[in-house]
Amino acid sequence: MKKIVIAAALAVSLPGCSGIGGEGFGYGGYSLVRAERARAVGDGSMIVTPPREWNRSSPLWQIDDIRAVEDWTLNGPYLDSMSFVTGLRGGRYIIRQNKRDAQQVPKFRSDMTAPEIAAMLESFYRVKAGAIDFKTTGLAPRQFMGYPGFQFDFDHLDSDEVWRRGRAAGAVIGGRLYLILLDGARSHYFGAAVGDFEAVANSARFRG
Amino acid sequence: MRQLLLLASVASAGLALSGCVQTKQYADVAFAPPQGDYKLLVMRPDVTVGSVTTGGIVEPRADWTEAARGNLITALKAQQASRGGNVFVLEKRDGLAARGVDADTVAELERLHYAVGSSIALHRYSGANLPTKRGKGLDWTLGEDAVALGRKTGFDYALFLHAEDSFASTGRVALQVLGIAGCAVGFCAPNIGGGGQFAYASLVDLRTGEVVWFNVLQTGTQIAGINMGDIRKPEGAAQMVERLLNRMKPGRDVRRALKAQGQ
Amino acid sequence: MSGGPSSGAVSRRAILAGGGALAAGAVTGVAAARILPANMVPLVGPGYRPTDKDEVGIWQLMERVEEEVAGSNLLIKDEGLNAYLRELIGKVGGPATRDMRIYLARIPEFNAVMFPTGFSVVFSGLLLRMRNEAQLAGVIAHESAHFLRKHQIRQWRDTRTKSDLLAIGSMVAGVAGGAAGVATGDLARLAQLGAILSVLRYNRTLEAEADAMGVRLLAEAGYAPTAMSQTWQQLIGEMDASAAYRRKRRDRNYSLFSTHPAPESRMADLRISAAEVTVPGRSYPDYRARYLEAIGSIRSMLVDDQVKLNDPGASQYIVETLAQDGWNGLLRFAEAEVWRLRNRAGDDARAALGYAAAVRYPDAPPDAWRWHGIMLQKAGARAEARAAYQRYLTIAPNAPDAPFIRQQLQFL
Repeated sequence: MKKIVIAAALAVSLPGCSGIGGEGFGYGGYSLVRAERARAVGDGSMIVTPPREWNRSSPLWQIDDIRAVEDWTLNGPYLDSMSFVTGLRGGRYIIRQNKRDAQQVPKFRSDMTAPEIAAMLESFYRVKAGAIDFKTTGLAPRQFMGYPGFQFDFDHLDSDEVWRRGRAAGAVIGGRLYLILLDGARSHYFGAAVGDFEAVANSARFRG
Repeated sequence: MRQLLLLASVASAGLALSGCVQTKQYADVAFAPPQGDYKLLVMRPDVTVGSVTTGGIVEPRADWTEAARGNLITALKAQQASRGGNVFVLEKRDGLAARGVDADTVAELERLHYAVGSSIALHRYSGANLPTKRGKGLDWTLGEDAVALGRKTGFDYALFLHAEDSFASTGRVALQVLGIAGCAVGFCAPNIGGGGQFAYASLVDLRTGEVVWFNVLQTGTQIAGINMGDIRKPEGAAQMVERLLNRMKPGRDVRRALKAQGQ
Repeated sequence: MSGGPSSGAVSRRAILAGGGALAAGAVTGVAAARILPANMVPLVGPGYRPTDKDEVGIWQLMERVEEEVAGSNLLIKDEGLNAYLRELIGKVGGPATRDMRIYLARIPEFNAVMFPTGFSVVFSGLLLRMRNEAQLAGVIAHESAHFLRKHQIRQWRDTRTKSDLLAIGSMVAGVAGGAAGVATGDLARLAQLGAILSVLRYNRTLEAEADAMGVRLLAEAGYAPTAMSQTWQQLIGEMDASAAYRRKRRDRNYSLFSTHPAPESRMADLRISAAEVTVPGRSYPDYRARYLEAIGSIRSMLVDDQVKLNDPGASQYIVETLAQDGWNGLLRFAEAEVWRLRNRAGDDARAALGYAAAVRYPDAPPDAWRWHGIMLQKAGARAEARAAYQRYLTIAPNAPDAPFIRQQLQFL
């Protein structure tokens, strides 16, 4: 998912040196996700219970079709992230994008099958996250939120030359997309978080 | 999933430096600065020195860069020797081949470190704090790959070092009199504007894989022509190494323990 | 600097624009007279080493860059293909050909870059778009000319002078901007990427020199010298198609044509030069078969990398350009993929027809059968869908999505 831009990270604002415009770019902070407590994610329709503390990144844009998405991380998004897509409607996108960009992530359609959703995610990585190589390593049936869904496993090589690994579990329920996706550096970080992902995915249910 | 995309937009932030020297270090809470007979591996130091032409382009100067790299390595060896360490500087990716670590393995570790270093920079220095890491000092790792490297080579620590420095050319001095200056400093952004120094160092414990200590050094001046420690000269390089590495502080828990012992 | 969430591809292009404009120092002016291929003598001989201070500095930096490039994860390591590329540069690289190195990077863009020390990076997207060996040789000849005429250092000196002037009038921005979001990972770590940038952006005169000399190198090696203008023509056509689909004007910042000779005058010059160096009565084969054989092992990957960018205007143009040499299963499948991802009204029906057309070719990729099956299943054609799925599982029993397809079979 990454366009690694360290210039940003290191526009270090140290006291004494005059600061930089790093704040106010609409880039919010993180709030704590408590361990072992059920909580609603995304648009509130999905309830999950994480086994340990995570950091939730603040919503970046309050745009209705993206409100269905929420992102968490343990060590920072360059290293790991867990994302939730909750009840995305047909005709909407998993990401906000400029309609005039040459390269675009396809829109979600209610009648999409698992391979089409996998292809949509793959395009997201290639188009938006600068993935150079993307390998599907598995696509198999999996129950999700009590419905027949799928599990999608993949590896991708990003423009910072780090190999990352991802796993998504999801289903289209009533024409809407529900999905949880883990993505992390293949070296150490994915493996360190995959247990949490499984626990969270298995705990996912609809809000009463 | 999507938060990374935003990082790109933060990137355009420029950094205007006032005449100042800044360092800020973070350490693992259980970190004790290495002492005694330890073996330190310095990963390919990344050093560049150039001169800023009036247009703000950093013109690379081979002679300066060579001098600076040599000086920094010398200073680093001296500084570490004073702590009792044995230092091996890895100049090329294939420099560990004799010890059974190929260039690809080194490259993979460098790349992972880059992602980890970026994360430390972002979540420790740029205010995007992660609540789960509050009060934990430095809480990042290079994982099993770093441990494997340590096991194969026998090194106790690995140090990643990056330094850049540029000196304003006379044309820029003239411009600055007119009050026109922009300056951006970053890991990978070229230094546009007045001369400035920027460096970071990161120490990894190869027995655990943990990043145990991290420090960023920034010196800059908007008054072109004033240089803070010229790393083209041995004393300047020694100064940078001293600023960056010499004031290595133990982590919180170790400090408390030392305090409790009345030291 | 990178300009926000959607800047990835654009900054990639900006960074490695092989023959791009000066970002800020763009000069306007009248086109100079055509440069004659006959006057293009190499300024670099075998074993060239720099002596001037600034050039020595750049060389040293570039050695570091090359180390990064050579160790990059993004390289396509196929030995046969790399040998083929080395052989090509050997044919059209002029006198310093032995000093040149060529690296193939997996980046789905139409580009190739020559670095000042004589190593070149060819993007995989270039191989996808070339219809034959002559076209590829033309691009390599053009890049070689940049090295042989010492363009990098000449441009560098020019840029310095210009940017000195420029700074007076405005805040310095964009000259060395945007080391962020580079498609070359480790390269991004080079603090001096800005310097590389300015070095790799040629002005109009240098571009025209590279065209003139490239044509000459091409003809001398026995390739049709018209191949080069054909390639540039394709590049312009693709950019226009991409822009037209998204209802906007052609990206002005793209590498080859931003400010220099207007594409039209450049083409005209190229055609005259090509005629000049053509020997009457000599036959110039395009070596298409040899080219397809060389890229055979990665061709479907190249198509896949392009199509999945979901840039329908460009992808469709590329597919149709390649199909001028004849349709096949791979291209029909690619066309259907473009429609499926594009997703306009009626595109699902179009894609379904496209997959059905693709599987009629013996060289249809296994994925064509899978998608054919999915489309049939969606249309309620259960028996046909079942047959297509079974065919897919027969061809690719170990496909990563085989478990999912087997489950679908139970529903049919």
